[in-house]
Amino acid sequence: MLKRHLLAATAAAAILAGAAAPVFADMSIEYMDSFAPLVESGVANYEKATGQKVNLVRLPDDGYQNRVALDLASGSAPDLILVDSFLVSEYAGTNYLAPLDDMLKGWDQFKYYSKGLLDVASYNGHIYGLPTDTDVRMLWYNRADFAKAGISEPWTPKSWDDIIAAAEKLKAAGVPDAFVIPAGTKQEEATTMQGVYMALLGADKPEGDRNRLRVRADDKWIGDSPALRKTLALYKEVYVDKKLADGSVNYTLDTAGVNKAMLDGTFGIYASGSWQNACFWGCDGKNAPSQADRDKLVAWTPWPGNGEPGNKTTTNISGGWTIDINAKTADKDAAFKLLTSIFDEKNFEDWTVANHRMAVRSDVASSAAYSADPYLAKATALAQDTTGRDTVPGYQKVSALIQQATAEILDGKSVDDVVKEYHDALVDEFGADKVVTLK
Amino acid sequence: MASQTSPWLRSARAPMLIAMLPALLMIAVLIYLTGWAIAYSFTNLELTGVNSINWRWIGFDNYVRLFTRHGFLESLWVTVIFTFFSAIVGQSVFGFSLALALRPLYGVGRTLVEAALMLGWLLPDIVASFLWLAAVSSPGLLNALVLRPLGMQPIDLLAQYALPVVIIANVWKGTAWSYLLFSAALDSVPRDVMEAARVDGATGLQRIFLVVLPMIRAHIATNMLFITIWTFTYFTLIYSLTGGGPGTQTEVLSIFMYHQSFGVGKLGNGAAISVAMMLIVGVLSIFYLRQLKEPK
Repeated sequence: MLKRHLLAATAAAAILAGAAAPVFADMSIEYMDSFAPLVESGVANYEKATGQKVNLVRLPDDGYQNRVALDLASGSAPDLILVDSFLVSEYAGTNYLAPLDDMLKGWDQFKYYSKGLLDVASYNGHIYGLPTDTDVRMLWYNRADFAKAGISEPWTPKSWDDIIAAAEKLKAAGVPDAFVIPAGTKQEEATTMQGVYMALLGADKPEGDRNRLRVRADDKWIGDSPALRKTLALYKEVYVDKKLADGSVNYTLDTAGVNKAMLDGTFGIYASGSWQNACFWGCDGKNAPSQADRDKLVAWTPWPGNGEPGNKTTTNISGGWTIDINAKTADKDAAFKLLTSIFDEKNFEDWTVANHRMAVRSDVASSAAYSADPYLAKATALAQDTTGRDTVPGYQKVSALIQQATAEILDGKSVDDVVKEYHDALVDEFGADKVVTLK
Repeated sequence: MASQTSPWLRSARAPMLIAMLPALLMIAVLIYLTGWAIAYSFTNLELTGVNSINWRWIGFDNYVRLFTRHGFLESLWVTVIFTFFSAIVGQSVFGFSLALALRPLYGVGRTLVEAALMLGWLLPDIVASFLWLAAVSSPGLLNALVLRPLGMQPIDLLAQYALPVVIIANVWKGTAWSYLLFSAALDSVPRDVMEAARVDGATGLQRIFLVVLPMIRAHIATNMLFITIWTFTYFTLIYSLTGGGPGTQTEVLSIFMYHQSFGVGKLGNGAAISVAMMLIVGVLSIFYLRQLKEPK
């Protein structure tokens, strides 16, 4: 009697489970607000051409990467995913992404991509995504604040001391957050790229990767180095010793809050990147004033090295985003069609120019609209001397640990303590033979 | 034993077992998930990269690191302060005082206060966090209404006093629960006992401490049990207000675990933190559950 009931219940449960299995009829794509114009116009074109519906998983910029990592790990990620380029090797190494080489060969616009710019979207010789843009990094500043503090323009700091001196003048003139370098864990990759790496590259001589997080030739992470200490000391000087900005801005302000602070002069100098020419006004170009009006409000200057002889005079590091295809997609061809709809010449060029992004395709870069843009010409000049992140598996962890290190500086810990903790954490992760101390 | 069950129950055993299935299923799922969390805590499993596929058992390494590396103990201390001041002192004591103070009050006044209390409780965490951000920022409500009229410079309260602000925000949000529970508890104290205490000459404070509190000790323990568990593992309001910062000032264990698991990507380490949290809350729960028993 009981047995029969149980059997019936089990059978019913099995039928229910079967009915609940997912059906992949439509494509889906996961992306964040700041890329919405590119993705959504491409999706509209795809829907018009195929009659298929695309499910949009649009997320806020804040916390986007954590969500993507979680979706991929749990197997619930959409067919297409916007991925920060540094994570491509990490995700491809975990078999989360589908290699696109064969399909790309059959795409008539693939010839416009140069190998160098596809590197960020490649792993072990295979291409896993198409890059949306590349970027450069610089110090943005509020011109009204500079006028108020009596700092002459164009501002061309030659050392970190020059930046600090300007920030002290701004502070004295009543600018609340005179010099903001992204710090802490909530800023995620912005801390590593716009902050730590930009300082690090100018903190020691560029030989033997002394000014990086990793000695690339030896395949070792740098647990302690003069450059690392000087970089953390800069954070300490800015946020703790001289209080040139309040560390909490890195936690309490979202993207919109940062933009407002930059434009209303709450921020004096802000370490950020080339996308801000559009993104201070919301990235989509809808509310942005003319270039002339933007230039009246804010200006930028390259990040100087720390001023010691032999170090780089200006630093730069480039990143960028990619759109990749989930290895688990039910219909790879449909996914590729959607991908190429987004990157189709017309759609992609319009977005690149309207958003002042740095082009990753030769046809876009040589187009009339792109080459006529004075901002892009100036920013592209910075890209002559740039480098990339240490995009090997494990970088994400190192990046998160360096973000924690800056958070501990904000807490008031000493550089010695923070470096020791960072070094030990690296040893925990990679083993003592993969971590090196530079003297 | 069988003779003690009612004949009706004995004849209906099969349908009863079927009725129990959902509960059994849920218990199985709970044990399964908790079991995995415990199992993961002994591995070097990561969110992405090689260790997400080829993970291995690493014994107690994750637990050893909780005590040998920065982070866990600091975060535990922040959590203890947050829980003590916002749950035990704030919500519980404040909720009890309100329940006591509002007892003689009837009509519109009481409805207004109760509605205001409930509002905090009913608001979604994200909305509450938005309200608090607006209230404590330097151009915000508190500066405009309190500090500026007193002739003080406007300050960003969240920047200067992050932990106190999230504690107060959580008291504001959670007091309604304690208030409701204590109101019901006070209703259960028989009027004649109170009358008798008064006739015997007990003062107001004596009546509260010697009569009321002992009579509602089970309610107090229940309330403590709930709000300690909730507060100790609380995430949303704190994360959306401060993200654990500035620095690590408001990094409670749930946020620390989130950073370790999904920021750094160390799921094994995150699992160890969650198991540690479970143990701590478990020990506290046992303590409270013992208080629930009537003293012999």
